[in-house]
Amino acid sequence: MVKPIHLVAGILILIFIAAVVIVMGMAAYQSDSHDETKLKVICAGSLIESFHELEKEFENKHPGVDVQVEGHGSIQVIRYVTDLHKEVDVVAVADYSLIPDMMYPEYADWYIAFATNEMVIAYSNQSKYANEITSDNWYEILKRPGVTFGFSNPMLDSCGYRAFMVTQLAEFYYDNHTIFDDVIACNFDPAIKVNMNNDTCIVSIPEIFEHKTEKIVIRGGSVQLLAFLDYGEIDYAFQYKSMAQQHGLQYVDLPCEIDLSSTEYEDIYKKVIIQLGFQRFTSIGTERSGKPIFYAMTIPDSTQHPELAVEFVKFILSEDGQEILCDAKQTPISPMTDNPDNIPDEFRFMDMTEMDG
Amino acid sequence: MNVSGKTGFIVVIAVICIGVIVALATVVNTYPSGVPAETIDWNLTLIGNGGNELVLTFDELKELPSYEGHGGFFSTVGMKYGPFECKGVSVKDLCALVGGIEPSNTLWVSALDGYLMVFTYDQVQGDILIYDPATLREIPHTDLKMILMYEQDGALIPGDDGRPLRIAIVSSNGGFLTEGHYWVKWVNKIEIRTPDR
Repeated sequence: MVKPIHLVAGILILIFIAAVVIVMGMAAYQSDSHDETKLKVICAGSLIESFHELEKEFENKHPGVDVQVEGHGSIQVIRYVTDLHKEVDVVAVADYSLIPDMMYPEYADWYIAFATNEMVIAYSNQSKYANEITSDNWYEILKRPGVTFGFSNPMLDSCGYRAFMVTQLAEFYYDNHTIFDDVIACNFDPAIKVNMNNDTCIVSIPEIFEHKTEKIVIRGGSVQLLAFLDYGEIDYAFQYKSMAQQHGLQYVDLPCEIDLSSTEYEDIYKKVIIQLGFQRFTSIGTERSGKPIFYAMTIPDSTQHPELAVEFVKFILSEDGQEILCDAKQTPISPMTDNPDNIPDEFRFMDMTEMDG
Repeated sequence: MNVSGKTGFIVVIAVICIGVIVALATVVNTYPSGVPAETIDWNLTLIGNGGNELVLTFDELKELPSYEGHGGFFSTVGMKYGPFECKGVSVKDLCALVGGIEPSNTLWVSALDGYLMVFTYDQVQGDILIYDPATLREIPHTDLKMILMYEQDGALIPGDDGRPLRIAIVSSNGGFLTEGHYWVKWVNKIEIRTPDR
């Protein structure tokens, strides 16, 4: 028969052994994870597919490096550095102007624009009037009875306020001053106010952003609308071209004058300003001005791996990197910078033009 | 080994075990936030529609009637978080402490990091879109409740996830996700307002 004192001793020894094993295991895990260099890359949601491909290829070329890519809305990407003070090595956003607006001079003092995108009207084979819609009549199709369409919430997502810009710019381009009201504004209560100030059109989004009709669907992020199109629950959605292509959707290529793709029409784009209903982040105001869509990246001053971060940015700008972007339907551009004097020396040999403004 | 020898051996083993367990507890307690368990020094300011103000400490908040439920969310790029077991105070109850919220009001929830989200009256009542966790397709409503969460999965909310107070959309049976932008982290002010129309 086992004596109680032996039983207690046995249990204590087992606890001891288990505890030692756990401690050694944790130590081994931590030691393993210290052997690998983690490069933290935070990017705009619409870049996530291409950046995951870049991650794989970069890791193949750099054994011992673990690139950790995370996608968020562009403002949130920057807030990881400026407001949440996280150790981030590379940030890449869908609106280049956010970097100087939110990071200069404390957190960064340069950026490189490396890719572009454009706004399209995405649809599927099941969409009503799919065989009729063109770049000349899309706004007529969207307002037809029975047709439903979606866009992301402009208060929350850049693709959302860009949908408003496109529709407002359409009024100038097609010389039809009822398009914005007929397609979007008439669906809301309280109303969306549009005021002209000289040549500039200011669209004010109310604090309560609720639509009163079943014609439109609004969701937090443009990615959510893809499922609606897949299941035939809406007919059309304002989307980035890259996302429509990545998802195998059909889309209407809009005229360059309204699709926010070209520096050539910069002066036209900036005639539309979206005034958001409330200031969601104290670090950035409520005004979003029309401008060409350029993706830009920088290396925050707080990076823990400056040399590796430079390598990663160089890789994105390299021939291989550009090919990966193209394969992922992200359109690369000849790199542009706003502060050539401040970019790291490693980029100086590159043929880089200076951004205007 | 005689009896006193055996007792001594057991005492030594017991002391070692206690030491290891204390060491382990310290490691677990400091991981991942890097800080040991702490007293929560946090104030929540409630502002009613008439401007009346009430400040609650974290401990005072925990003394209010609590609600437990399940909920999770997804980010704008479709990353899923949860579902979690959430415990906290009903936001509607918090509004009642400063005069209540009416259909014409909105609720401004602010956070220490400068984030702000505005909710409608209906959303505060639990009228929020919910989604299937697997497909992210919209599913019908259940008994939703908006709470100010102070416990997640039986412990304080992790630091990076909004400790000590975070908005959560929950129900008793769970099985759904909501949009992540509602889940405001580090909440320090809740204000009832009447919007300009």
